Amino acid sequence: MLDGLGSSLKDALKKLAGKTVVDKAAVDDLVRDLQRALLQADVNVKLVMRLSEAIRTRSLEEEPPKGMGVREHVLRIVYHELVNLVGGDTAGVVLEPQTILMAGLQGSGKTTTTAKIARYFYRKGLRTGVICADTFRPGAYEQLKTLCSGDNIPCFGDPDEPDAMKTVAAGLDALSGTEVVIIDTQGRHALEDDLISEIIAINEAVHATHRWLVIDAALGQQASEQARRFHEAIAIDGVIITKMDGTAKGGGALSAVSETGSGVVFIGSGETISDLERFESDGFISRLLGMGDLRSLVERAEQAMAEEEVDVSSLMKGKFTLRDMYGQLEAINRMGPLKQIMSMLPMGGMSIPEDVCDVTSVKMERYKVIMDSMTPAELDSPSILGRSRVHRIARGAGRSPDEVRELIKYYKIMQRAIKGLRGGGKFNMQRMMKKFGGMQ
Amino acid sequence: MFDALRENLLEIRKKLGSGISAAHDEGELALPAKAPDKRPGFAGKVKVLVTERELVIDEKKISGPLSDLEMALLENDVALPVTDAIIAHVREDLVGGRRRVRESVDEIVADALKRAVLAVLGDGLDLISYIQSHERPVRILFTGVNGTGKTTSIAKIGNYLKKHGFSVVIASGDTFRAGAIEQMRMHAGRLDIKVIQHQQGADPSAVIYDAVEYAMAHHIDVVLADTAGRLHTRTNLMNQLEKINRVMKPDLVFYVDEAVAGNDAVVRADEFNRVVGTDGVVLTKADMDRRGGAALSIAHTIGKPVVFLGTGQGYDDLIPFSPRMIADGLFGAEC
Repeated sequence: MLDGLGSSLKDALKKLAGKTVVDKAAVDDLVRDLQRALLQADVNVKLVMRLSEAIRTRSLEEEPPKGMGVREHVLRIVYHELVNLVGGDTAGVVLEPQTILMAGLQGSGKTTTTAKIARYFYRKGLRTGVICADTFRPGAYEQLKTLCSGDNIPCFGDPDEPDAMKTVAAGLDALSGTEVVIIDTQGRHALEDDLISEIIAINEAVHATHRWLVIDAALGQQASEQARRFHEAIAIDGVIITKMDGTAKGGGALSAVSETGSGVVFIGSGETISDLERFESDGFISRLLGMGDLRSLVERAEQAMAEEEVDVSSLMKGKFTLRDMYGQLEAINRMGPLKQIMSMLPMGGMSIPEDVCDVTSVKMERYKVIMDSMTPAELDSPSILGRSRVHRIARGAGRSPDEVRELIKYYKIMQRAIKGLRGGGKFNMQRMMKKFGGMQ
Repeated sequence: MFDALRENLLEIRKKLGSGISAAHDEGELALPAKAPDKRPGFAGKVKVLVTERELVIDEKKISGPLSDLEMALLENDVALPVTDAIIAHVREDLVGGRRRVRESVDEIVADALKRAVLAVLGDGLDLISYIQSHERPVRILFTGVNGTGKTTSIAKIGNYLKKHGFSVVIASGDTFRAGAIEQMRMHAGRLDIKVIQHQQGADPSAVIYDAVEYAMAHHIDVVLADTAGRLHTRTNLMNQLEKINRVMKPDLVFYVDEAVAGNDAVVRADEFNRVVGTDGVVLTKADMDRRGGAALSIAHTIGKPVVFLGTGQGYDDLIPFSPRMIADGLFGAEC
């Protein structure tokens, strides 16, 4: 379904390619497809209408800059308008003493996110503590405490105290030595007046530096209204999108950002406490539209590759060493989850075996660890890897010799693929994926 | 819940109605000599046939209101594919439709809309009579993504069943989330319901198996099995759910989702349905939202009814639900 949407957008863009004058009908087509894509992604209907109107007028009225094709011109406008809406990359995180108040609907992931953010600041070297002001939900304090105990982050809470205000006041006293205090609150929605006045009171009492709104990526049209009410109550200055590891596109969060006039602070991308990411508008937009853009992939790939300085010419000569592979794995890591990259590649209707993506990111991490235990000579000419070397590497990396052999096998497949690429034509992605899948 | 959608639909109904009545007027102009009242019999049938032909509803006349309807549905969180289905249904029903003259325009439109919604919603499920007519213990498994309110809903449903005179045991199958077992234990303690629990990190299948064994030994009527929230994209967690399903052999699988969810509701409902099947939907957090489009989206996608509606934080904030209730809620009981 979503793939179909992405491709219809691409088709609409294709119609614009090679044109010298902006074609009104083609722009209308594009805007309509864009609207559908955004609505499908849960962006607020009114926001979509406003956005598409702006894109339509700008596309038709603005002259394309010299040397830029119509298609690029329109694409740029679409992109700009969306970036404007999203409000750029990660905003508002400074590493200094501060108090952060978390707000959000029930079940949006406040408690988990609180622990994640505490860990983030803790890892950046700030003394961090959390207060559990959720006095309603049973088990809330235990949950936060368990999540924080891994890093020994102090967690204050009193499950027997029914008054959140008292808990917060006592918590601030108890955590007076810390630099960053994060206050987790009870889930509430904008129609519960007494809970809204409670959070207003907490906000006034603690003089929170930041008030962040936690939004579930799957939240629909309701996001706008909820965000507006929260904003009216406590002046939200940042939005955190959670559960972005699912299929939800996070359009609701976009509505929230636009409603509060703030930016996205973090993205929650998994259940464990380390799954917190900085926000990157490019990736978010391509996800929103359900359209992976190959060009941006190439740009990102180039960027990542440049830092690693992979010698492309020697690669093309067919000399592909483990060192190159290491660089490649690093680069891929930097580009984001493998699955996302795969979705950006124009591979037609080819579907990637589900478990390939699931396992490989873990595998890649292991491969890197194993390669870290190799000598430069081994990295440069993997053919010298014999039985005793394999055993030494396995011991050094703390993995089994079988895994080292698997890495070598993987390397050989890659090498063959690169050779095929050089030979031209023979490089068969499908076949490679099959081998890849068979190895797991 | 549904208030906003209902208001919107009323508006659309008026617009559609005026589009059609315009067509209606033209029809009358073309055939002025028409009997106002209709008698059964051959002559009447002929008249109906004649007037029917004149009363073909023009697609152009209703395309404007239809796109308004589309926007209204989208604004109310009905997912795009489901919106398309409803619109197609209404259009098919109206365009070129041969309508009897005596039928009021408003009725035509309301009927078309209601039929479309009912077609999307499917049949209902009455839990009480289901339990009464099935072998005990009735095993109910709860699934859903994180944070939709599975644990709270189980407490509420446990409370609801107890009030209807059934004995209940809860399996605390969320062994992953920190604090989940604690949460369940406290809920159950307040409601005086037996909970079977292991420690955190235990195999959920084992916990649920124990609960079923316990129910059999103690002649308990209903087993409610909680599971950890999982995103449908996590293959390993979905496999675990499959295993739970295999071990427990549930009579009913309830899929829990929130009323505020947007388009993704469709994607994940579909995925959960594919892995463990679904017999009913519990829609939570309905008090947050005046729209309730997610009910339509989910019901349409998996073709299974909404059984319960969670409307608040209290144990009694649970409403048994039927498709007719949604339809009546949307269009008012009068039609």
